[in-house]
Amino acid sequence: MTATQIRLFTLVRREVTRFMKIKRQTLGAPMLETFLYISVFGAALGSRIDKLHGFDYVVFIVPGLIMMAWAMNAFSNNASSILQQKFQRAIDDQLASPASPLELLLAFSLGGFLRGMIVSTITFTAAALLVSIPVEHVLVLIPSLFLVGFFFAQLGVLVGVRAEQFDDISFYQTFLLTPLIFLGGVFYSAELLPEPFQTLTYFDPVYYMIGLVRYGFLGYSDTSVALSLLFLAAATLALFATNYRLFTSGYRLRA
Amino acid sequence: MALALEINELVKRYPTGTEALKGVSLEIEDGEFFGLLGPNGAGKSTLIHCATGLAQPTAGAIRVFGHDAVHHYAEARLAVGLAPQDLNLDHFLTTAETLDYHGGYFGMPRRERRARATELLEAFSLTEKRDDRTRTLSGGMKRRLILARALMHRPRLLILDEPTAGVDVELRLELWHYVQRINAEGTTILLTTHYLEEAEQLCDRIAFMNDGRIVAQGTSRELAESYGVASLEDSYLELVGRKELSRAHVAGDQP
Repeated sequence: MTATQIRLFTLVRREVTRFMKIKRQTLGAPMLETFLYISVFGAALGSRIDKLHGFDYVVFIVPGLIMMAWAMNAFSNNASSILQQKFQRAIDDQLASPASPLELLLAFSLGGFLRGMIVSTITFTAAALLVSIPVEHVLVLIPSLFLVGFFFAQLGVLVGVRAEQFDDISFYQTFLLTPLIFLGGVFYSAELLPEPFQTLTYFDPVYYMIGLVRYGFLGYSDTSVALSLLFLAAATLALFATNYRLFTSGYRLRA
Repeated sequence: MALALEINELVKRYPTGTEALKGVSLEIEDGEFFGLLGPNGAGKSTLIHCATGLAQPTAGAIRVFGHDAVHHYAEARLAVGLAPQDLNLDHFLTTAETLDYHGGYFGMPRRERRARATELLEAFSLTEKRDDRTRTLSGGMKRRLILARALMHRPRLLILDEPTAGVDVELRLELWHYVQRINAEGTTILLTTHYLEEAEQLCDRIAFMNDGRIVAQGTSRELAESYGVASLEDSYLELVGRKELSRAHVAGDQP
């Protein structure tokens, strides 16, 4: 391994070590949450809800739950990890190392990305044991989930770098992410909504992400798959570029 | 031979308008033990942060063993080890991990990291605590670990920012012995401290900083002579404009 590879690997390892050492909170809690959603909305309420686009209700919501798990964990991991390290100034150890801004950005991004991936994979496995979950378009599903994960990982990095206190992170999580994700149609099909909410949903970027993931699993989507993928890729790239600029300038990391 | 640290007209202005460094120039020879003294807020830490990449200079140049610390930061940072003033340990890591990860950030291969960490844990009497989380260590152990971490990648220039602040007598003497030994082995040392006897005993040359400028430098004898006083402490008091505090006066005033 070259020195650069060792460095990048260690930077990522630090992020993974952090969430593995507090896995009750970082892996256990989100899994319990997903399990509760599946039991309450899927098993309890779902039996009283008609099929949606030909799928049992519980099967219809699982793709959204998997996506939500990846998104939320990628975001909150990175935002918290960066802010904690800024608080303790432990981040200075990485900042005073020869690591380039790109290496630092990638490592901080991958921490949450990997945590999201683990939680989503376990969620999928657990759900697949309970109900039969089809995987119709794996070539759409994998890139879509990766892009969603990476998008929210970037968002987490951005918020973590900007944040000065933990309240800043919970603000974004509670007042921005949770509404966007819930109203993006994790638990329902947008077609069921009355106007103007149906139209408003079309302005929610998460709606298109859920559309993609649902298409990957179920083969059904009420959005354009190609266009959604394109926009998601563009948005992820734009966010990555913004973060890269912040890391290069040292914004709120280097005095 | 290249200088260990060469600072030329360094200016650091914060976005708030505060000018922490107002054109500092400084040269530290390879192998020297150099002291940087000055009151709180003089700019000592800012200068150190600029040399290690934790702060970005507004103007001027910094070279570490000939490597530009801004444009060729990777080579420059490889040559520097920083033991900062704050106990900025990563709370998620154990004592051994702290050293191992630091080595990884500096691109050291695993085998080399293992050997070096074992050696440093032994040298700083931390072997028994190798698997303890850093937040459970006592203040003295944290201080030792911070010094061990700074030395992990075998830097040619070691920067110690108030390493003995709040440290008990035994540990202070232990740290002195250790840094004197590594200086004798060829490591250049830049030390900031508020303990004048520490600077006097350890340093080949000393610079006084005040209000963002280097106001005097030389050996402790040269400094005392240049201020026309008998001791380093008195020359320091001259510098900060508090010569009425001089112990010579106090002793002389006794009936």
